[in-house]
Amino acid sequence: MGPLFPLGTIGEELNMLIGFIIGIGFGFLLEAAGFTNTRKLAGVFYGYDFVVLKVFFAAAITAAIGLFLMNHYGLIDINATFYPKTFWIPTLIGGLIMAFGFLIGGFCPGTSICAAVTGKIDAMIFVLGAIIGIFGYAFTYESLWEDLRNSGKMGRTNIAEWMGISDGLFILLMTIVAAVTFFAVTRIQKKVTDKHDYQL
Amino acid sequence: MERSKTYMNSYLAGILIGVFMIAAYYFSGEGLGASGALKAVVVTAVNDVNHEYAKEAHFFKARVQNEEQSPIKSWLVFEILGVIAGAIISAAIAGRLKFEIGKGPNITSRSRLIFALIGGILFGVGSQLGRGCTSGMVMSGMGVLSLSGFIGLIAIFGGGYVIAYFFRKLWL
Amino acid sequence: MKKFDVLYVGLLLIGAFWTFIVNSANDEPIDRVQPCDLVDIVAQTDKYMTTDELARRLMSDDPTLALIDLRSKTEFEKYSLEGAINIPLEDIVNPEFKDAINQDVLTVVFYSNSSDLSAKAWMLTKRLGYENNYILKGGLNHWVETILRPREPKETASRSEFENYSFRKAASAYFGGGSATGESVVTKKPKVAIKRKKKSAAGGGCD
Repeated sequence: MGPLFPLGTIGEELNMLIGFIIGIGFGFLLEAAGFTNTRKLAGVFYGYDFVVLKVFFAAAITAAIGLFLMNHYGLIDINATFYPKTFWIPTLIGGLIMAFGFLIGGFCPGTSICAAVTGKIDAMIFVLGAIIGIFGYAFTYESLWEDLRNSGKMGRTNIAEWMGISDGLFILLMTIVAAVTFFAVTRIQKKVTDKHDYQL
Repeated sequence: MERSKTYMNSYLAGILIGVFMIAAYYFSGEGLGASGALKAVVVTAVNDVNHEYAKEAHFFKARVQNEEQSPIKSWLVFEILGVIAGAIISAAIAGRLKFEIGKGPNITSRSRLIFALIGGILFGVGSQLGRGCTSGMVMSGMGVLSLSGFIGLIAIFGGGYVIAYFFRKLWL
Repeated sequence: MKKFDVLYVGLLLIGAFWTFIVNSANDEPIDRVQPCDLVDIVAQTDKYMTTDELARRLMSDDPTLALIDLRSKTEFEKYSLEGAINIPLEDIVNPEFKDAINQDVLTVVFYSNSSDLSAKAWMLTKRLGYENNYILKGGLNHWVETILRPREPKETASRSEFENYSFRKAASAYFGGGSATGESVVTKKPKVAIKRKKKSAAGGGCD
């Protein structure tokens, strides 16, 4: 019954090794999907390449379905796993700042690391910038950020519960919306790229 | 331009990433992430240089209390090391392992690098404030149906769509 | 390319439908109570134990009694009946406590301040199919009124009422009545270990 490490079934060393192996899978897939190409990433905002949207939702839905079913069939105890606490104000504001970061920098932390190690110089600079940003944030934390970061506390909020529907229904709705979106963006992408070859 | 043929099918890649996320939860009880690893690097660096300061400062204190264990030894860091390895392997197989600068056709390389730096700084700040980046907070958050993940999703992508117009020269 | 896309998205949709169906089927036990069952359950009259009866059992050191205090931990610690275990109402369906409540051998009595929480607990456990569960009629409030501070019957009351009153006075002394919110004078450790006790043939195994 999972999760194995928090429940003591496997030791710390093995846990770290598994983290490494899972990372290999993640990194491989990100690169294989083309996330090291900054123009492909930005494409989601301009309509010429929706790879970000497709991968993102496919991953989230797969994980949501998988975890729900595993929890239901007793293979995992979802309450013992990491569950982020919701702080809606800093997440919203932080998200907006990240949106700027994404459009200006063309990466997000995970993809920038993948790209940097495969030779993309712009990504290396991005990673450098991110570290500078974190340093800056850290040293001004108490004066500028701390209160904001702890505001809007909602605890561990499940979105289905918050909306008043069951988990299963939410997952189904999310998947249907995603499927419709996939269909729509595929057509949009075709229309946009037919007009102009973006040479991705 | 047929380069797209060497990329994996997006949906398949997404599903497989989802599978790895499930594995991460099953084995380690953790979500996949990235900004946390960068934070660990910063925390470790400051801690190694000036432990006394790190113990007191609010940003660092939580991670540096245990004097035996360095904050760099976290699951997320090992995961990121794996990510690095995996990315290199995939790029090597596909022939994408080379030095280059990715940029839109209408700006210079120099501009691109400056923007990359600015973008990075913004993301560094934003991910700390938002308590995670796209992989960790949003993708893993959505996977467990956490409200915070969806708020992050709307903030990053919704926000992005609103301001995309103003930055189009960088990409189009 | 297009064909595979449809395949993958289709897989996701199938998975989503599967979760939805599984989730709805899951809702049975507590949420979907059939109305006719409910009427039958509610109509049962043998679900109460009076305060007198409970007092009698406690005073005779009845070993088959298992008292469950449904209130919060703080209330429990402030005052509780001797030998009671604290399982707050919201934990009542927690599998951890299942064996304490789902009993073949012991008589489980729920109590709270009035009959309110215990009636709810009783409904829940009855719906889950547990037997041998009772509600302390009137709860602790009634316990205080009848046992700890029994009121003298009027002169015109019947003989049985007077007899009952004598019994109650004795009980009040036994339970340290007088100040109802005071600490329980006799504080014995809970007698029931959280293990499922099965009816076993006489002489079978020793504990």
